[in-house]
Amino acid sequence: MELPNIFRGNYKLLAIPPLLLVLVALYFIPQIEMGVDFRGGTLISLTLDHAIDSNELQTQLESEGLGVEVRVFETAVGYKAEIESPQSEKLLRAEELKDEFESLLPEASNLEILAEMNSSYEAEYQEKRNEINAVANEMFELAGANTRAELIESITDLERTFSESYKKVYSDYQTAITGPIDKYVDYTSISVQTVSPMLSTHFIETAVNVAMWSAILSAVFVFLFFRVIVPSIAVILGAACDIIIALGAMGLFGIPLTLPAFAALLMLVGYSLDTDILLTMRMLKRRGDPRDKAHDAMKTGLTMSLTGIIAFATLFVLASVTHIPTYYEISAVALSGLVGDMFATWGLNAVMLLWYVERKGEQ
Amino acid sequence: MEFYRDRKFIFMAFLFLLFLAGIVFVPAQSGMLLIVALFVFGSLCLLWKERHLKLGGLGFLVILAIINIGVNGMHFGIDFSGGTRIPVVLEQSVDTNTMNELVQAIKKRVSVLGLTEVKVRSIGNSQVNVEIPSGDEERISFIEDVLSHQGVYMAIVDGKVALTGEHIFSTSIRPTPAGQLSPDAAWGVSFAVDREGAEQFAAAAKDKTDYPVYMFLDRPMNADLFYTGDQLLDSMLNDSSKRESLNSLRDALELDNEDYPNATINVYVLDDLDLTNLSIGPRTNKTLAIISENAPEEYKTALANAGYVLEEMPEAEMAPEFTRTITGVLVANKIEGIGLLSSPRLSAGVTTGTPSYNYAISGGVSTSDPTEARKEAIEKQKSIESILKGGSLPVQISLGSRTTLPASLGEEFLHLSLIGIIAALVIISLFIGIRYMNIKATLPIVLISMAELVILLSILGSFTIDLAAMAGIIAAIGVGVDAQIVITDEILKRDKYLLQEKIEHAFSIIKTNVTVATLSMLPLLFSGLVEVIGFAISTILGSMLGYLLSRPAYAAIVEKIIGKEGGEEHGTS
Repeated sequence: MELPNIFRGNYKLLAIPPLLLVLVALYFIPQIEMGVDFRGGTLISLTLDHAIDSNELQTQLESEGLGVEVRVFETAVGYKAEIESPQSEKLLRAEELKDEFESLLPEASNLEILAEMNSSYEAEYQEKRNEINAVANEMFELAGANTRAELIESITDLERTFSESYKKVYSDYQTAITGPIDKYVDYTSISVQTVSPMLSTHFIETAVNVAMWSAILSAVFVFLFFRVIVPSIAVILGAACDIIIALGAMGLFGIPLTLPAFAALLMLVGYSLDTDILLTMRMLKRRGDPRDKAHDAMKTGLTMSLTGIIAFATLFVLASVTHIPTYYEISAVALSGLVGDMFATWGLNAVMLLWYVERKGEQ
Repeated sequence: MEFYRDRKFIFMAFLFLLFLAGIVFVPAQSGMLLIVALFVFGSLCLLWKERHLKLGGLGFLVILAIINIGVNGMHFGIDFSGGTRIPVVLEQSVDTNTMNELVQAIKKRVSVLGLTEVKVRSIGNSQVNVEIPSGDEERISFIEDVLSHQGVYMAIVDGKVALTGEHIFSTSIRPTPAGQLSPDAAWGVSFAVDREGAEQFAAAAKDKTDYPVYMFLDRPMNADLFYTGDQLLDSMLNDSSKRESLNSLRDALELDNEDYPNATINVYVLDDLDLTNLSIGPRTNKTLAIISENAPEEYKTALANAGYVLEEMPEAEMAPEFTRTITGVLVANKIEGIGLLSSPRLSAGVTTGTPSYNYAISGGVSTSDPTEARKEAIEKQKSIESILKGGSLPVQISLGSRTTLPASLGEEFLHLSLIGIIAALVIISLFIGIRYMNIKATLPIVLISMAELVILLSILGSFTIDLAAMAGIIAAIGVGVDAQIVITDEILKRDKYLLQEKIEHAFSIIKTNVTVATLSMLPLLFSGLVEVIGFAISTILGSMLGYLLSRPAYAAIVEKIIGKEGGEEHGTS
């Protein structure tokens, strides 16, 4: 098996395909769908022992007033349906109310004690109490609770009832979805994954932090390691393009951005830097003709990428057989990234390095 | 070469036996031990240049890994074993100590109800996962209830309930400001109660100055307590008799009135019981017999036969703590196992019979060293605060969305995933074979990949293999061979470098690659993003494994087999 040396001739043209890919990717990136982890909402997975019509179920559920999206798959272990429902306005409001209630609570409870001992605090307590009652009443309405805050004497009881109501809003939201599903679908098992607004915010914040640290650590290491500006930038640019291409593929193929997809993207950072570093080290620290060295590095690099592609392709096949979303998201993102990496490394990074090395050689 | 006589090799073998003992006798830490073993053998392989040592390091680790799987088995997440996962989300991130406290508290809550098969694990600093290997709806909602349940606080004075948690304003519980503490107190906690609580307390405490207030959390209402003679002897104060100690225990555990009929916890010393003719018995068929897990079996059987429900506890949890008051009375201060957590004395001010809305519990410290004293004061004050608040967890929590998976489906997933692992290994081996068309180069790659896989499965299996970890394992098969490819390509290349130089070139590339791969995944490892941490662990471990062990071992093999070949070719070309 002999790989032709693509770096003979006008190698600068090699930068065109990766740049085109990046442009196309940039166009598709805004179309990336946020998964339930980051967007919040509920994802219900059903296992079924028979096929059902997803459109029919969607219409039935919509007639119950549910804005849901239904997908049905056939897997190696029977049929599977995924029903995704967006965040509910009610739940969002309930969380806001909960924050508000908790910020009012310490003062109100303190005033209650003071008022109990000394009636001159009564007026001040009533004022605060009215304020907290208003918040509680709105929560009771959301929960459909048959009570008013004014009827509850102590703040401690109010706190308890409030917290019960909050939990009821939460479980009502889930039953509002699972109820109609029970009515129309005959399933063997159900898994309900609700990501509350608080949880999804937490996921987003953590993910942004992780991505930032990962980028900083890798970039700083690359600079410290090579200590030469142009090759370092070329390496980082190669990895950045790879991530952009992978993100573009997510937009194009409708791979949702979930936590597993995010983890796969992080892995790609390391993976694509690997081939970039292999190339750069061979080019900078070895004697010989630069174009031959690039070609040699490419042979090794492609072998490495292909073993990765084989592993993730296996995972992808496994995902299409089992419809395990974690497998699908990780393998689909990794595959797009590994393919993208071939272009980014051997098109973009290699071209920049060759140009740099040959120019330095001329000087 | 008779390598088994080599001191270095003997040293390695000695380490191997040490790790082996650890894995067999401390199964709970086997995963960590394997990771330590990986680093120890890995460092030795980097340090020592001898071929048989490099191969020996990998060999020893593979044997350890296989034994670990054989002896301790592998743990799978509920995605593969079936069951229900309830994520507990903390409302703020916490430090390691608080997290450990929290996990212990949750474990305790769940295990009090005899649900020992429930797994509680902390991941990162803001989430705890509770996993139940069951999909039974009733059981799950029961556990959800237990998790969100607050402990029931109860204060008992002289066999009467003086105060219960529902009458305390939870937000009024706070440390007493230093200016308001009495001169002899080092710490204090103030709280306020409602009208009913004030009246109840005033009545119970009337004329009981210096009586202890027994403060309980979740006091069992239908239970008896059984000590072995030795157990009691061990916890008694030096200056007290068995009889005096037993009496003080009985005082602490007495509770019998119209609101709580028959709620006294009787205390028995097992050695004093006549097993052939047991004169005592349970009140109902649900009465608990609380007994040390180390107590002789014949007593346990006798009590079970008498109709008790046995509740076995570690000795430390049952052990009573006694103190002698200034007036010379012996008081049982603490018995954790039944929820007796503290016994402050009533001061004269609160025993007049007049209801009061505000109370304070205060106390001294046992040391005179100022830093230690300050620390002790804060600890005591925090513990009282937490008791009054119903033992609430150190941080606010909310239950996340639960996931349920049927066991049969999980098994199917596991089965298919294992097929996937094998398929990936086979296809990659074929690919490498075709790429190099050189069986001498391919065979070691395949064998070492398999060794890596075994070690990885064994380490991850000691913790928990979930979907993300499984995906990571499959990925690691692809990544794991990268190191070998770099070495092989370098060695087979026809250029002017010497074999040793080539290997060094390859090593420096691999080292950099592993560093980058680890650095880019490291933030994810510490992120607390439960769902994908398994993926981070397996990718990082996979590349570490490649760097520390399989790389030196592979180089050692390949140097010998194809190194010569490459050299010859170079010579003739």
